[in-house]
Amino acid sequence: MSIDRRQTLAGLAGTLALPLLGRSAFAQGAGTFRIGALNPVTGSGSPYGTGMQKMILAAAEMVNAAGGAGGRMFEVFAEDTQTNPQAAVLAAKKLIEINKVQAILGTWASGVSLAVIPLTNDAGAILMHTSGAPALSVAPSNAKGLGYRFQATNDRFGRAFAEIAQKEGFKRPATMAFNNASGIGNTEGFRKAWEAKGGKVLEAVVYEPNQPSYRAELQKVLAAKPDVIVTGSYLADTTIILREWFQTGDATRWIIPGWAANPDLVKALGPDVTEGLFSVDSISNEEAPSFQMYDAAYRKAVGQPGLSNVYGAMTWDMVVTLALAMEAAGPGADVAAINAKMRDVANPGGTKVYSFAEGKAALKAGKINYEGASSILDFDAAGDVTPDFGVSVISKGKIERRYVTKI
Amino acid sequence: MTDLLELAIAGLMSGLVIGLAALAVTLVFGIARFANAATGDTMTLGAYATLGGTAATGSLIAGGAIGILAGAAAGVIAYATVFRKLERRSPVAALLASIGVGFVIRAGLGLVYGHGQQVFQLPLVRPWRVWGIRIQPTDLEIAAAALATLAAVFLILHATPIGRQMRAVADDPDLARVSGIAPRRVMIALWALAGGVAAVAGCLLGIKTVVAPEMGWDMLLPAFAAAILGGIGHPVGAVVAGVLLGIAQETATPWVGFTYKIALSFAVLLLVLLVRPRGLFGRIEGVR
Amino acid sequence: MDAYLIAIAIVTGIYVLMALGLNLQYGLTGLINFGHVGFFCVGAYAAAILASRGWPAAATFPIAAAVAVAAAWPLGLVSLRLRDDYFAIVSLGFSEVVRLVATSERWLTNGVQGIAGIPRLFADLSGTTQALAVLALLLVLNGLAILAMRRIVASPFGRMIEAIRDNEEAVRALGKDPARFKIQVLMLGAALAGVSGAVYAHYIGFIAPEQFVPLVTFQIWMAIVMGGVGRVSGALVGSGLLMLFLEGSRFLRDLLPFVSEVEMASVRIGVVGLALILFTLYRPQGLMGDFTRR
Repeated sequence: MSIDRRQTLAGLAGTLALPLLGRSAFAQGAGTFRIGALNPVTGSGSPYGTGMQKMILAAAEMVNAAGGAGGRMFEVFAEDTQTNPQAAVLAAKKLIEINKVQAILGTWASGVSLAVIPLTNDAGAILMHTSGAPALSVAPSNAKGLGYRFQATNDRFGRAFAEIAQKEGFKRPATMAFNNASGIGNTEGFRKAWEAKGGKVLEAVVYEPNQPSYRAELQKVLAAKPDVIVTGSYLADTTIILREWFQTGDATRWIIPGWAANPDLVKALGPDVTEGLFSVDSISNEEAPSFQMYDAAYRKAVGQPGLSNVYGAMTWDMVVTLALAMEAAGPGADVAAINAKMRDVANPGGTKVYSFAEGKAALKAGKINYEGASSILDFDAAGDVTPDFGVSVISKGKIERRYVTKI
Repeated sequence: MTDLLELAIAGLMSGLVIGLAALAVTLVFGIARFANAATGDTMTLGAYATLGGTAATGSLIAGGAIGILAGAAAGVIAYATVFRKLERRSPVAALLASIGVGFVIRAGLGLVYGHGQQVFQLPLVRPWRVWGIRIQPTDLEIAAAALATLAAVFLILHATPIGRQMRAVADDPDLARVSGIAPRRVMIALWALAGGVAAVAGCLLGIKTVVAPEMGWDMLLPAFAAAILGGIGHPVGAVVAGVLLGIAQETATPWVGFTYKIALSFAVLLLVLLVRPRGLFGRIEGVR
Repeated sequence: MDAYLIAIAIVTGIYVLMALGLNLQYGLTGLINFGHVGFFCVGAYAAAILASRGWPAAATFPIAAAVAVAAAWPLGLVSLRLRDDYFAIVSLGFSEVVRLVATSERWLTNGVQGIAGIPRLFADLSGTTQALAVLALLLVLNGLAILAMRRIVASPFGRMIEAIRDNEEAVRALGKDPARFKIQVLMLGAALAGVSGAVYAHYIGFIAPEQFVPLVTFQIWMAIVMGGVGRVSGALVGSGLLMLFLEGSRFLRDLLPFVSEVEMASVRIGVVGLALILFTLYRPQGLMGDFTRR
């Protein structure tokens, strides 16, 4: 056994040389602002990632067509997180170090955002994400105030579930959660909100993914005789659980997050099983002109209605908000100055605007308040937004919106 | 008590699927002498092929036949291109190559079908109640399919010339060669059989759950555990062990919870191996 | 640019440390350890938990190694008397059990939420200097591991474990108990994986159970198979190739615009599979190895 140094070095040099093959020359022009689109194109976020990425590109193009923000044009570098923290960390390093991006947009899974945010903090870059984990609001993750969440926190989802359960007159809820940060975050958020209303959660089951059957889990939750089961689940496991639930002949109702109770679920299970399910999602700001613009862009880029991907609307808003903050901060502003303007352009107390071009013009006159496509987009002190929640009921195989809940 | 019985039934159904997968593992192990990690992805292939076949022919039975053929073909192709060349090499080489074969199958399925889930559109029916216990008609059909597969495998192994040759090779490859058994034919038959069994397991799993590129890989660990528990190379043992592990996992949930139930099968496996290193049914064989 | 290359070099160094451990276990002793990620996980969690409670890195590293060794000991004790291929499955199961414990025991590991904000190494340095310091630490750790391995190979212990790999029966006939040596080797390799996990936890800054899946084990296997089993240079070159492949696919996409990101995920796993097949078929000794004795 011996080390052949020459061959070793050659091997390592080969590793190091490859990145050079990619994009070779980056002349950082004075007139450009580089952003990274870091999205879950593969892995469990894959139903949304491609659309999210395309919306970042489309919105950046729109900003550039309107003459750029603060005198600068966006240049977008796209990467895949693979919905995996380690891959995301390396991708973020590449974006920050090689592509010199000053903001990273559109991380999705909480684990990924938690792993990436220390890097953006170190680089003094902005991170805009759609993750639910409460830890992202506070130090150490958001110690520098450079993190912005465009999605409701898991706690807010839980509060919305509790509102709906109360409104629908349910008295004996139980919960079932996929064992990950997001699944448990939802059902724990529900428990907190429900107990704050003086209620009691009868049973809380947490299950592991990739099981050949979830009957034991169902049996445990049904043994408590709940009148409604609130889930924090994904599409595949929800499909299996609901099929097995239907076959038990039990008549419990279900409140399921919208990313699981979607048209694919109805397609997989058919109208009988899905009849009467509640599907709850944070909703886009559907009546607003900003949503119409997003919807048109989404149809053009992806070929589907914008409503099919709430995260697409969020990434669209990320670019627009960032651009408006850059415009407000003026030409040549650094990231800290831009970051300081984020709430100024998005929160109440100014002319309501719905697009970048409109906001750019209105900024000349005074303060603006961007009303986004994903929500009215008002950031609290932690950089979180509070969207509205839409409640849909599945009826005869159609997902029909019944009402909107504000929390 | 009825709760526990219903858990046992749920475990039995999962166990049959695991047992079939373990049967595919143990067949290869008994004759080709390595743990075939491509078994899981062959299951996935069988499930996708059955879906496609069902959509094309309109009949689940015909679709299942197509799935079995696809699984068998995958087994034979893998043998002809990869495992045949590794026959004289260590079992670890073949095991590593089989992981590679599995990855290639999964990559192919991902490229063709994407990563979204697909489902078998079967009518869902409410359960019968027998003495307060819920019995699901679908379960009976799945069990019937599993038992029919087992019967077919044992018929092939015990009542056909090629099956007898397979068992002879499994018992003593050198003796079999001396007695004039053509090893090539035996191996092709073996891989076709193992691939077909894996396809049935994948198809049943797909009916119970959803069809996605990773589904089979996720079942590989329990299948390996069952194959070893049953005594490697022992077909009846593999199926019995799969069922035992399935039932043990589900009936233990009131005590160990839903996360550790997965760990339970390894605990059972370790315990049995400590007491009986050759597995439940395994023959005493010299340590190689 | 530099910082990205340093980041890649650091991750490669983490892989090399794990690969060296596996090389000792499989390459030199013939242990088919399919649960390597379990030791990595144990080390990462030990370091993360202690560092979050304010322990200095100088303490977390040895403890990470010790905890990994402590996890390896009972595993070896109960399972190394089994057949080689049984041990493969049992160790794979072991790593899954470790992951399930990390998932379940929220009081200790914070469960699926993971541990965030793990303090960095050399926190008083910043930017590239800090990254270079981590890289230097990894070089030192790997250097120590390689030195130790050379000493082992040259020692009576080394000759014994190689004899076990080549002919266990003969060793037993000499009146030695192979299992005892195997357990020691398992523990040594686990220590390397544990230290590697500690570096990983401090470097990535966030760990959660989902990062410790069996795929990591197979990546390390792929590294030593490609590089050359039984050789230190094999572990180095193999890990380099692995990173080249994992990171290279990012840049490959720029060259293959017609392959979508989703397809790229499949292509990635397909190439791993092909590499495993082709190396076992046509270059079993790996790129660096002349491993003819097996």
